[in-house]
Amino acid sequence: MLKTRLPVSLCHTSQRNPGIITSVLHIIAPHTRPRTVCRNASFTTEQQFEPTLAKPKEPPTSAYIHLPFCRKRCHYCDFPIVALGSTSSQPGYDNDPRISNYIQLLLREIKATKPVSDSQTPLETVFFGGGTPSLVPPHLIASVLDALKSKVGLTDEPEISIEMDPGTFDNVRLREILELGVNRVSLGVQSFQEELLRVCGRAHGLKEVYEAIEMVSSCEGLKNWSMDLISSLPHQTEKMWEESLKCTVDAGPTHVSVYDLQVEQGTKFAQLYTPGVFPLPTDVLSADFYKMASKTLTEAGYNHYEISSYAKDAYQCKHNLTYWQNNKSFYGFGLGSASYTNGIRFSRPKRLKEYAEWVQRLEDGTVSYGTSEVEVKEVAMDVVMLSLRTARGLDLKEFGREFGWQLVGTLCEAFRPFVDRGLVIPLDRDRRVLSGDDFKFGEGETTYFVRLSDPDGFLLSNELISVAFGVIAP
Amino acid sequence: MATTSASCSFSPLLYPSSHSLSIRAKARFSTILLGQLPLIPNQSLSPIWRCPSGKISSVRAVTDAGPATVDPGQERLSKVPISNIRNFSIIAHIDHGKSTLADKLLQLTGTVPKREMKEQFLDNMDLERERGITIKLQAARMRHLVNNEPYCLNLIDTPGHVDFSYEVSRSLAACEGALLVVDASQGVEAQTLANVYLALENDLEIIPVLNKIDLPGADPDRVSREIEEVIGLDCSNAIHCSAKEGIGISEILDAIVANVPPPKDTASLPLRALIFDSYYDPYRGVIVYFRVVDGTIRKGDKVHFMASEKDYFADEIGVLSPNQIEVKELYAGEVGYLSASIRSVADARVGDTITLFNRKAESSLPGYAESTPVVFCGLFPIDADQFLDLRDSLEKLQLNDAALKFEPENSTAMGFGFRCGFLGLLHMEIVQERLEREYNLNLITTAPSVVYKVNCSNEETIEISNPSLLPEPGKLKSIEEPYVKVEMLTPKDYIGALMELGQDRRGIFKEMNYITEYRASIVYELPLAEMVGDFFDQLKSRSKGYASMEYSLIGYRESNLVKLDVQINGEPVEPLATIVHKDKAYSVGRALTQKLKELIPRQLFKVPIQACIGSKVIASESLSAIRKDVLAKCYGGDVSRKKKLLKKQAEGKKRMKAIGKVDVPQEAFMAVLKLEKEVI
Repeated sequence: MLKTRLPVSLCHTSQRNPGIITSVLHIIAPHTRPRTVCRNASFTTEQQFEPTLAKPKEPPTSAYIHLPFCRKRCHYCDFPIVALGSTSSQPGYDNDPRISNYIQLLLREIKATKPVSDSQTPLETVFFGGGTPSLVPPHLIASVLDALKSKVGLTDEPEISIEMDPGTFDNVRLREILELGVNRVSLGVQSFQEELLRVCGRAHGLKEVYEAIEMVSSCEGLKNWSMDLISSLPHQTEKMWEESLKCTVDAGPTHVSVYDLQVEQGTKFAQLYTPGVFPLPTDVLSADFYKMASKTLTEAGYNHYEISSYAKDAYQCKHNLTYWQNNKSFYGFGLGSASYTNGIRFSRPKRLKEYAEWVQRLEDGTVSYGTSEVEVKEVAMDVVMLSLRTARGLDLKEFGREFGWQLVGTLCEAFRPFVDRGLVIPLDRDRRVLSGDDFKFGEGETTYFVRLSDPDGFLLSNELISVAFGVIAP
Repeated sequence: MATTSASCSFSPLLYPSSHSLSIRAKARFSTILLGQLPLIPNQSLSPIWRCPSGKISSVRAVTDAGPATVDPGQERLSKVPISNIRNFSIIAHIDHGKSTLADKLLQLTGTVPKREMKEQFLDNMDLERERGITIKLQAARMRHLVNNEPYCLNLIDTPGHVDFSYEVSRSLAACEGALLVVDASQGVEAQTLANVYLALENDLEIIPVLNKIDLPGADPDRVSREIEEVIGLDCSNAIHCSAKEGIGISEILDAIVANVPPPKDTASLPLRALIFDSYYDPYRGVIVYFRVVDGTIRKGDKVHFMASEKDYFADEIGVLSPNQIEVKELYAGEVGYLSASIRSVADARVGDTITLFNRKAESSLPGYAESTPVVFCGLFPIDADQFLDLRDSLEKLQLNDAALKFEPENSTAMGFGFRCGFLGLLHMEIVQERLEREYNLNLITTAPSVVYKVNCSNEETIEISNPSLLPEPGKLKSIEEPYVKVEMLTPKDYIGALMELGQDRRGIFKEMNYITEYRASIVYELPLAEMVGDFFDQLKSRSKGYASMEYSLIGYRESNLVKLDVQINGEPVEPLATIVHKDKAYSVGRALTQKLKELIPRQLFKVPIQACIGSKVIASESLSAIRKDVLAKCYGGDVSRKKKLLKKQAEGKKRMKAIGKVDVPQEAFMAVLKLEKEVI
């Protein structure tokens, strides 16, 4: 396989918004005026985009908060985290100044950030990701929520999620967290095999996994919880994976995230293993793991609504849907986190010291956010890349209105061979599957959506999305 | 094959009958060899690619040719009597130090001030500096005093590589003498010999120079003996030098003055100037380098190109020193350049004679034998839209490279492209690289082929340089392929290894001679097709780098050849078709399909790869489908990293050619060159 494999790293839970980035953004730049999207000169030629501008962005209704603390770094992880190490005296980290100092920094960032809209559109979703947010004392989490409330406000029934790891909380702490208004928990289980948890370098064992599941699933007032799993771990067998999936279904979470292991540069796994080579599974086995998860969880009543996400009806993660659907904007706060405001994607520094300096400059008003002009084709690529990850797929009508009907035409033409091979599925307005012969596009045609098939199309999503990229940026 | 023909096609290279060593055939073909030329380590790998006309440097001084110049460096422009002019070139094997010696000559004569000196001054193209070779010849006018009398020395640089012996013959024809530079620690090499014979054919005075005498392994006496024995050149006055250390440089200058005969004083005759090089400058048109043989040329003269019968006004004439420096006139014996807003290089071809419109010479000078391409390949743009760009670029390159030939070709698999002819594989590689680097083209190069003569059943004989055009087996009677005589010079330790190589390549052993006690010459006759590829690589690796080679074409011979076709996913891929000896067809077929399996990335479906003779499949492999290419995690809101990777993946696709439904990368089209040596 010569194709480039995209890296993904897995921390313990699905809904996160860590950042890693390159682009520079801005939060302060003139935010009252609608975002302008510049057309690239090379872009107006030939069969490219019609000269429409991407529509102005709605103000964000979601916020991601990065809480980077972990007991130790997992062997597959390349996220911006702060490993606290073991404390000699007491069991917890509640009085650790590293945490309280960081929260102070985070509060300063929130305070110094100017809201995108004057109308103060309240937040519909908040997501505490990490790291291991459950290590952060609840009163500090409360202070962050308060800061958000006074800055942009919360709706009456916001979705507030938090990532929690087995072995980092008890019933008391869980209840304290829920009392703050948190109503969704994402539990970082990863595996139901003691030996695999050890291979991953997780800070907890199987016993803690079962205890955590027991607490979360029996907790009154918590209806909505998710579980994270990783497939294609070193030494993982088909039997182990089958067992993990079964245990997951038995635990009965409303949401499951399944990640295929990606060996990231600089991680311990990268030192030890080569993708596709024992003890890592072969491509074929790894693909089988993916298909097993899709089959088992679908049969258990979960909808495979995104490449790596499964949910019971009405329990899709609203926060993550903002990332994937309709090019929506969102706030990001904290070390390494990414935001998308005023049409600009921006990631904060990943090192604590640089992040602290950045916050200082934000307060001083000297942060350079870069230009607020983004090429149309970049926006088009974002939309294609993100929406094709979902079962809903790409909304061709909307895409055509925004980026031009000719582009929709060439895109569909490029996808036609994959429709014939069952990897791409055209759908009509009522989401009925169309045959290859009915796969026609254009303003008045019946094809309204294209999506990748489950599991075959999803499994080859990089190939298929890069084909679309080739069409958008020939 | 070639789309263009040189304006002059008479051969100036008459063989001296007295030449005892004229074993080389008259049609000498330069050759082969690929990019295995040594990189000179201390050379800068400049990322900046100069404009295609990479010859001029930015310094252009306009001066009066009179004696009153102030800048001492400009004294070299002042006129000397014809009897004080010396035109010479340097013949040397690659790495024997020619470029370094040229640098030192320029320095010592004050031609290039020290502060402007960069290594290998004459090698202007970045590619030349990077590879440490000279491709295009260059010229430099120098001034040297002997007994207070000024002499004008014109150095005309020559490429050392066998692929470029055509260029060598051009520069030698403009000279009266040549320095034969031999590495005193190595000895005479096969390519040096070839060029010395060219020089002898041109009646040049040859001055032997033993270079690198500072090296611990230097053995000038042994090497002198070798030169005497092999070439028959008296070495009793050979100059011992070290270009690197600056030893013996002034002795060389003195020897040039003393031994190289001055040009004949024919300044009063009607103008005849031989064009020995030209290049295209995007701002000034074609710039012509010439040697005045008879008469005088002045700025503003209306000149007439005798072969093309075109007339132009000489807007600017000058000398190369080595930058272009304008002068008012040049007379017999001098070397210079001419700019006349010439739009097409066809109007002023290398080998043509320049005369005056108002006082035409009676006959033109003998020109050059047209270089004959020996290696052919297809060049196709990956993006069909670049076809016209490719044509323009080839035309521009041809302005500077008369040896490059091309004609349009199209194939169902590859679309529109060109069949190009080259002097050898190095030449081919350089052209390809220049097209990609200087002209920003994305190309597929097909495996190189030689020209076959096909005797058809209907008594017709056709020439085929593209294997896919070979007629059906039923329609052909026999196939003839070009044979070469290869001479390998090697230390005796490697004789066995090199004979094995000759044998492997369907070679016929002809003779072996010890040229000295330790070194031998081995002569084989073998098919040219067996040399196109890694022969030179093999020669070098089997002799630990010590052997050298030279070859010349000796004609066509009938062989038992078959066409091997390749099918990918059931589609015949014409550019992968090869002509192979029947005995080797099975092993080549197997190796080729295996290699392609390695080189073609897996697709979304299973892809069979087959090698066939006619309709018979002789080897088959299959590429399994990609099972998984997914990034389960999307980093939440951070899309930039994933997007970057997907973009890279999309870029990768653009570098591939779609053959039917299969994306095939560039390297795959050269797969036949990459086969394990055992099977070839």
